[in-house]
Amino acid sequence: MSEGYEPWLNREMRQANDFSAQQYFEARGFDQVDDNRFFNGTSTGDYMIWSQLLSGGSAVRKRFALALSEFFVVSLNDINLSWRGPAIGEYWDILNRNAFGSFRALIEEITLNPAMGVYLNTRGNRRADPRRGRVPDENFGREIMQLFSIGLFELNQDGSPRLNSGELIETYTNDDVTEIAKVFTGYDLDYSQTTFTPDPGNPSRTIASVDHVRRPMTADPSKWSRSLNDGFHATEEKQFLGLTIPAGTSAEESLRLALDHLVDHPNVGPFFARQMIQRLVTSNPSPGYISRVAAVFANNGRGQRGDLGSVFKAILLDEEALDPAKVADPSFGKLREPMLRFVQLARTFGVRSESGNFEVRNLSNPANQLGQSPLRSPSVFNFFRPGYFPTGSQSAANNLLAPEFQLVNETSVAGYVNFLERAVDTSAWFLRDLSLRYSAELPLAHDAAGLVEHLDLVLTANQLSASVKDTILSALEDIPVEQNSPDTDKLRRIHAGVVLVMASTDYLVQK
Amino acid sequence: MHISRELELSRRAFLRRSSQLAAMGAASSYALGLAGIGEAAAFSSSGGYKALVCVFLYGGNDHGNTLIPFDPTNYARYAAIRGGIDDQGGGIALPRSSLASTVLMPAGGQTVTDDITYALAPTMPRLKARFDQGSMAPILNVGPLLAPMTRAEYDNRSVPRPPKLFSHNDQQSTWQSSQPEGSQTGWGGRMGDLAQSSNTNAMFTAINATGNAVFLSGEQALPYQVSSSGAVLFRPLERGRLFRSGAATSALETILTTGSGNILAADYATINDRSIKFGSFVNDALENAAISTDFGDGNRLADQLKAVAGMIAARGSLGVTRQVFMVSMGGFDNHDGLIGRHEGLLAELDFALDAFYQATIELGVADQVTTFTASDFGRTLASNGDGSDHGWGGHHFVLGGSVNGGRFYGRAPHVSVDTPDQVGRGRLLPTTSVDEYSSTLALWFGVSPSDLPSIAPNIGRFASSDVGFLRSSTMHT
Repeated sequence: MSEGYEPWLNREMRQANDFSAQQYFEARGFDQVDDNRFFNGTSTGDYMIWSQLLSGGSAVRKRFALALSEFFVVSLNDINLSWRGPAIGEYWDILNRNAFGSFRALIEEITLNPAMGVYLNTRGNRRADPRRGRVPDENFGREIMQLFSIGLFELNQDGSPRLNSGELIETYTNDDVTEIAKVFTGYDLDYSQTTFTPDPGNPSRTIASVDHVRRPMTADPSKWSRSLNDGFHATEEKQFLGLTIPAGTSAEESLRLALDHLVDHPNVGPFFARQMIQRLVTSNPSPGYISRVAAVFANNGRGQRGDLGSVFKAILLDEEALDPAKVADPSFGKLREPMLRFVQLARTFGVRSESGNFEVRNLSNPANQLGQSPLRSPSVFNFFRPGYFPTGSQSAANNLLAPEFQLVNETSVAGYVNFLERAVDTSAWFLRDLSLRYSAELPLAHDAAGLVEHLDLVLTANQLSASVKDTILSALEDIPVEQNSPDTDKLRRIHAGVVLVMASTDYLVQK
Repeated sequence: MHISRELELSRRAFLRRSSQLAAMGAASSYALGLAGIGEAAAFSSSGGYKALVCVFLYGGNDHGNTLIPFDPTNYARYAAIRGGIDDQGGGIALPRSSLASTVLMPAGGQTVTDDITYALAPTMPRLKARFDQGSMAPILNVGPLLAPMTRAEYDNRSVPRPPKLFSHNDQQSTWQSSQPEGSQTGWGGRMGDLAQSSNTNAMFTAINATGNAVFLSGEQALPYQVSSSGAVLFRPLERGRLFRSGAATSALETILTTGSGNILAADYATINDRSIKFGSFVNDALENAAISTDFGDGNRLADQLKAVAGMIAARGSLGVTRQVFMVSMGGFDNHDGLIGRHEGLLAELDFALDAFYQATIELGVADQVTTFTASDFGRTLASNGDGSDHGWGGHHFVLGGSVNGGRFYGRAPHVSVDTPDQVGRGRLLPTTSVDEYSSTLALWFGVSPSDLPSIAPNIGRFASSDVGFLRSSTMHT
């Protein structure tokens, strides 16, 4: 690594996603109305995200986009509209496009995205109607504050809570929720360029073309599916978090003012920084680490707030992330998420999709699959909470957080090893579209020691302990392979080696 | 108002007891078959086997469409608030005619606030029948409270509010553990701490059939996870072969249970170790404990409860006389599309709870198993168009042979968005606290009154620790 990390990172960050979700749907015909009735299901959404993660370039951008998808959560499990695949695909594309852009631009795009609109109910949300007892839906208003920007408590720049006579200080009250909820009224899907095709499975019905789940939602009622003259935005005064939006302000202007105000809140930097460090580097960053990243969030050195490219660079290039001594620090690192383990397995050993579609579905079942699937969080609170720790554990005794352990229990640890056994040779029925080539490993297979060294390097960055390496080596030596053995024998040894490395806790904890 | 000092003191006594248990190795007693080291005064295991089953409804159940006013006056109020037209439904109001077959008529002519007659949701005919038989009771307007609180005290903050009201994750945690997210132990686990000395195998005291949650974590008691089909075994270890190699299998077992110096790694290895150690034992026990009750097909709550029934059936082989279980279902956060989706969820709940109760009858333990619901929070009575928003108090159900059922407990709230029993938009100010609810369950389970503060830390501020919905609550004597 003669050039150093930063020039490499700069180059990676400049690369756009060379094959976006939208391009994927177009290339695969998954956005066409035909006998397959792709508008109806969710499986093309799973195929899309696995294809994005398992193949193609701009892996650094995608890694950050995936981390963002665990902060700004939308789940394919619960987006109730047609074209769910392309809808979540557009959401994924937004995260990719903005991964190194501005936090402010990103939060506006996700707010108006149709998948988010149906997930947290901004779509079709209306101003109060006292005659019918109707009040604005509070869901997005609450979660944009609690989860997507400021969190529940006032924070210092180092992520620690600010205290008032020893008490936490709440960032907002329920009245703030009720008021900010008015900002997110009056939006619906934009059908202004949508065409309609008869449903091949039910000719009495027509299917709207896919564009309406990609275009941002609009407060202009002339563009809705049933076009109207007047919209449903709450035009009364809105007061929250010390901001007053005067009566009569338009939907667009209210949104701009509200998002500006949220993003300017001093909590956003430390709140976001801590969680991104947790997703990418370590579950327990020091206050100094959070503080340094939060400072870059506040000002990238060129006077810009919320420049995500600078924030992500600050996370990866921080002294705490790069310090080699941290590898031996017992409280450093994070448990690799199950989906990241699978992505690493597939990319490292040359995954191929027979169909070209990467037809892998929802792998969420912990008993007999991976126990996690991208864009399939069980709720907007992500697969695990940033403050989670396993009770009765050494982590708890040492006051350490271990968010990913929310997915770890007697069932999922066994399920993972069983998954691994059938993933390394892609013999599991749900991986039947995939194959792994092991082209770098096959020439090494007859040399058990060389194979172990190689797997240690590509899977753990040489972090296997000597005893684990010895244990794996003696096991692999028990599987006889000669230089001229057939590939099936060589693969057997390779498969066993990969399972053993990836089952080890030296691998499972990324340091 | 200050948190009482005596709670802190009783907490310390409790911790001391826990560390005594730890010193004797209670948490890893499986291999030793350790039994009977508890303090007889602290916990009673008399009366044979007992189990509590927590059914957590994730997302915040819309109690307003779970238990619906049926009498014309109160139905009209309900319909007006929820956007209905006359008796026809509409908005998020259910049509009145759909409720006729699930009306609950309490035995003995019990009357509640404003003479409300309640009906269960139309998709809950089985729980209606259990109510009529006397084995089910609704507990009205339950929610977290630090102390009894009026609307005025809520407004002027003269009584502290539970922190982070209306927030999903924090109120889930508060229901389960009395504290917002970040809490170390839940009341199911804390009952497990007291109960595990009654069990030969302490490991099977707290059994989780759903995702990780704080409810079943105690100071010592650890939740043991089972899938809907029992323990999941490491297949290469069971088979004795990994890619046809016995040596690779031995290596795998060594590696799985090896933690490096890293704390997270050590924790992961510990869970691997537990899973390897107990899995086959559990499945052997389950194999000899068949159940014929029909749990249906594709009902995920029923699948979990079937696994719970299996563990109860296997209680002899597992070596347990006291157990706490947790199961859950999600999907209750219906800000949109409440009508339709919510009745479907309640239909699943109705079927699953009924099948489970039937299984306890089959196993001859109906009087010894009490099932209860919990949820993040209740929801607004007001409509946001086609759903409801986050609230506070909500109605819950207890089911079992020891339930004094066929009547209501707690105080019915007015059907209103402007009376003092709610804090706006019909978010109910709870009148029965989670501490009163959990204490009632704990007393029945065998926890002594002096130990209740370790289960329900705020119980000392409430008039009674027994709401009365369970028979033989004082069996600990």
